[in-house]
Amino acid sequence: MLSSGCVANRYEAPVSTFRDKTQQTIGVLSDFYSSRNSYEIDLYLQGVAADRSLPVETVDAKGAPTPLGGSVFSPASIKARLDALNLVGIYAGRLYDLANTDSPSKFQSASTLLGSNLSSLDQTFQKLQGASDPTANKYVGPIANLVGAIGQMFLEQKRDQLISKAIKEGAQPVDNILSQMRDDMDKVFSLEVITGANERLATLVLSYNKERDKLTYEQRTARLSEIKAATAEAVASVGSAPSNLIASMMETHKALVQFAQSSGKARITNLAALNSALEQWTTEIQSLATQVKALIH
Amino acid sequence: MMKVDTTTLADIINQCFGYATDGRFSVIQQTAFLADGKRLRGLLLNLLSAQFDDGTQSVIDANNQLDAVNTKLSDSAVTLANAAQRIQDVADLVANVDKLLNVAVSFL
Repeated sequence: MLSSGCVANRYEAPVSTFRDKTQQTIGVLSDFYSSRNSYEIDLYLQGVAADRSLPVETVDAKGAPTPLGGSVFSPASIKARLDALNLVGIYAGRLYDLANTDSPSKFQSASTLLGSNLSSLDQTFQKLQGASDPTANKYVGPIANLVGAIGQMFLEQKRDQLISKAIKEGAQPVDNILSQMRDDMDKVFSLEVITGANERLATLVLSYNKERDKLTYEQRTARLSEIKAATAEAVASVGSAPSNLIASMMETHKALVQFAQSSGKARITNLAALNSALEQWTTEIQSLATQVKALIH
Repeated sequence: MMKVDTTTLADIINQCFGYATDGRFSVIQQTAFLADGKRLRGLLLNLLSAQFDDGTQSVIDANNQLDAVNTKLSDSAVTLANAAQRIQDVADLVANVDKLLNVAVSFL
């Protein structure tokens, strides 16, 4: 039988890495989410630049707002998803705190830690559902459960038990939130970025071909460099990097949960699996972050 | 609630952009593919979050049309041989999909 001090240390390294990589992943995904509307504005303006016949408009001839005149993606919906990511980050940070301190005084209450914005995030999603955000309702339950789980994470018990309990209680809501985000990426943002990248490439290529006989060597070289960059973006867009990043995080989280729930020999096996998942996630973050950056303007 | 098949719509858009840079088509045909691809993408962004009442006939018809156009466009040799008709097919699709926005129940 291991002492409580000894068993507490088994969490220190993996939970620390889990916290760090969660923050890194959230940073990359936040940049992606935050850039969606500016991406659409860039694409719109590039289309205008490539075609002399097109004026810049905030509302088009049919009365529909252009990306310049209205946000393609609701800023409130984007912000709510960024807050949901932050909530997962706070959960990972809370686990880290539990694994790295013996001082209960360092623990803030859940309401202080989360603030009113995140404490009531489930209500924000409920309002968005009313405002016709089609996937908002799928976030409501998991977010309320995760806020509840974070609220339970106080040093009232032995640390090992506490961390195991926290991981167990956070497991389903964290998995549900990440799963819904992956669905958003696959069904909404993936279609946006792939078609957007192909539009950019086609616009640049056709514009070049139509005007190449009027361009100087330097102008042609500059245009061809843009086409090269657009090609790289088109290739990156089909890689589903944001979705893969979430999937990688989910795999590691799953391994963490299995480790926390295991005992005896299985614990050693599951620790090895957790470390392996953390290593793979660490490796993937770098390459996936590079691919995601190619999709951000 | 039901939705438009946005995955197939995205496939069609990507094929339009692909043909817009395909040297086997004339510049006029390339330009038409690019313009229709852009129009369809604008509609796609709205339809990603649009929801419709179950059984809405115009959505059922549009989804069938999406399948048919996608299948026709996927064969580049046949598309090349029938470029004018394929461009008209896509233009008809643009018009029908555009009408769907008027009957959508909700948007993001």
